[in-house]
Amino acid sequence: MSRNKELIELEQRKAFSLAMGGPDKVKRQHDKGKLTVRERIERFVDAGTFVEVGILAGQSEYNEDLTLKKVIPSNFIMGRAKVDGRPVVVVGDDFTVRGGSNEGAVGEKLIFAEQMAYDLCVPMVRLIDGTGGGGSVKNLEKKGYASLPQMKSWSYVARNLSRVPVVSLALGSVAGKGAARVAGSHYSVMVQETSQVFVAGPPIVAKLGQKVEKNELGGSTIHTRNGVVDDEAESEEHAFSRARKFLSYLPSSVQETAPTTDAPKHVPDQSWLVDAIPENSRKVYKIWPVLTTLFDEDSIFEIGKNWGKSIVSGVARIKGRAVAFAASNPYHYGGSWDRQTAEKFVRLVDVAELFRLPVVHLIDNPGFMVGLDAEKSAVMRAGVRALTAVSQTTVPWFSLIIRRAFGVGGGAHQNSNRFNFRYAWPSAQWGSLPFEGGLEVAYRAEIEAAKDPEAKHREIKARLESVVSPFRTAENFNVEDIIDPRETRERLVEFAELSAKLCQPREYMVGYRP
Amino acid sequence: MSIHKITSHISGHIVDCEVNVGDKIAEGDTVVMVESMKMEIPIESDRSGKVTELLVNVDDDVAEGQVVVVIS
Repeated sequence: MSRNKELIELEQRKAFSLAMGGPDKVKRQHDKGKLTVRERIERFVDAGTFVEVGILAGQSEYNEDLTLKKVIPSNFIMGRAKVDGRPVVVVGDDFTVRGGSNEGAVGEKLIFAEQMAYDLCVPMVRLIDGTGGGGSVKNLEKKGYASLPQMKSWSYVARNLSRVPVVSLALGSVAGKGAARVAGSHYSVMVQETSQVFVAGPPIVAKLGQKVEKNELGGSTIHTRNGVVDDEAESEEHAFSRARKFLSYLPSSVQETAPTTDAPKHVPDQSWLVDAIPENSRKVYKIWPVLTTLFDEDSIFEIGKNWGKSIVSGVARIKGRAVAFAASNPYHYGGSWDRQTAEKFVRLVDVAELFRLPVVHLIDNPGFMVGLDAEKSAVMRAGVRALTAVSQTTVPWFSLIIRRAFGVGGGAHQNSNRFNFRYAWPSAQWGSLPFEGGLEVAYRAEIEAAKDPEAKHREIKARLESVVSPFRTAENFNVEDIIDPRETRERLVEFAELSAKLCQPREYMVGYRP
Repeated sequence: MSIHKITSHISGHIVDCEVNVGDKIAEGDTVVMVESMKMEIPIESDRSGKVTELLVNVDDDVAEGQVVVVIS
C-alpha cells in the first residue's frame, strides 16, 4: 500500500510538469501564435517516441505537514526520441515558466542533454525559446552573489559540433546564451515574425538610443540575411520539417556514414543543358533549373537561401547518395564572392568534411568581389579562409566549371593537391583575370604607340579571344576534360558511386585557417 | 496603400530600365538592368505592385542599396 502512495505522488509531480506554467501562461503562448514546448516536441518527433529525462526537476513547495503543495517545473525539457525512425536527443525551453530563463536545474539539464547526445552518438536538436539557460537579473538577489560567466555548458556544445549533427530552431525571442545556442549549430532555422535572435533585446538596446522593435532588431529579415541563422520558416511546423529534412542527409554521428535512399525512378531530361548557359557571356541565367536537372528529383535542400547569395548551396542526392553542393549564382554580384558567400561556403565545406559528404561544386565565379564596399568588408580575409578550408578537405570532390573561373576566387574551385573529379562545359572561360579587364594595362605601350589605337585594341582583343578557348587549355591537359553538358549527370553518378567507400568515418582534423 | 522600395543589390551602371511609371509588375519581374562585374545583372522586384516612381535612368551609376524603383 505504501508504494501506491509513492506512485500517486510520482503521478502528481509529473502532472505539475505536464501542466507547464499553467493554463493562463499556456493561453498567452498560444495567443502569440506559438506552440508550447511539449506541443513542439510532440509535433517534431515521431509519434509516441519521446522518452523524457528529468521530468521531476523543478522547485517544490510543501505544506506544513511536509506533503507536496505544488511544483514549478523546470523550464528546460529534454529527452530521447526518434525522427524519421532515427534516434535523436531533443531539448526545448518552456517559455510559459519564467519566460524560459535560467532557474534551478536548467544548467545541469542542459549539460546532461548535450552529454547524452555526445555519448549516444545521436543528433542534438534544440527547440529554443527564451534565454535557454542564461541568467536573469532576478537571480541575483535569490543567489546572493553575481556569477562569473563561465559558459560551462559551452564545452559540451562545442565538442558535440565535432561529433553529432546539431540543429537549432529559434522559436521565440531568443537572447544571450539562447541566441548563442542557436548560432552554435550545423543548421539553424527561425520562424518569421514570431521569433527573434539577439545578444540583448529592445529594452537594453534602447539605452544605446536605438528605438527598434524586436523584429527590427533580431527578426528573420536581419539574421537570415547576415548568416547568424541559416534559414527562415513560415511557421513552427515548417521549421520542424526543415530540421527533419536536414537531418535526413546526415549520419547520426561522425562514426557512421550518411544514409542513402532508393535511386529515383525518373531522371529529368538532360538535353536542354546544352543551352543552359547563354552564348553572350554578359547574360545571367538561373542556376536552379540546372541543379534540379542534375540532382535526384526533389532531393535538393538549400541551406542559407537569403545570405551569401553568390552561391546556392546545401545538400542533395545523386542516385540516392547524399552530397553537399555549392553552385554559383550569377544573379548576385555576377557570381563573384563577397564576404558572406565565402563564409557560407566554409560553413558548408566544414559540414561536408565532418560528416563525410562528397562535395559537388558548380563554378561560374569571376573572382572575389571588387570595389570599395568589398574591400571594407574584408573580403580577402574571408576569401582566404574559404580557400584554405577547401585545401584542408579530404572528402571526394567534384568540380564542374560551367562558365567563368577567374583569379584567386576561381582558384577555390577545388583542392589542387589531390585527385579531384574535374570537368568543364564548353561554355567555360578562365584565367588570372578576365582579359577584357587587363588588356589595356598589359598592352598599354603597344596600344599607345599604334597609329590607330582603337584598331590595335581590337586586334589584340581578337588575338586573345582565340587563345582563351577552353579547348586550348584541354590540349595542354590544364583541364582534364571538357564534356557535353548532357553527360554531366552520368559523370556525377560515377562520382557518387566511387565516393561511397571514401566516405567512411575517419578522424576529423582541421588545420589552421588565416 | 503601402509603398515598397526596390533597391539594387549591387553597384554598377544602369543599362536598361524595363518598367515605366504606372506599370503593373509581378514578383520576380526585372525592373532595371545593372552592368557590373562585366555582366548585365537584372534587379528584380521582390513583390508585385504598381510602379509609382522610377528613380534611375539609363547610363546612371547606382550604388549598392540604392533605391531604383518604388512600387505601391
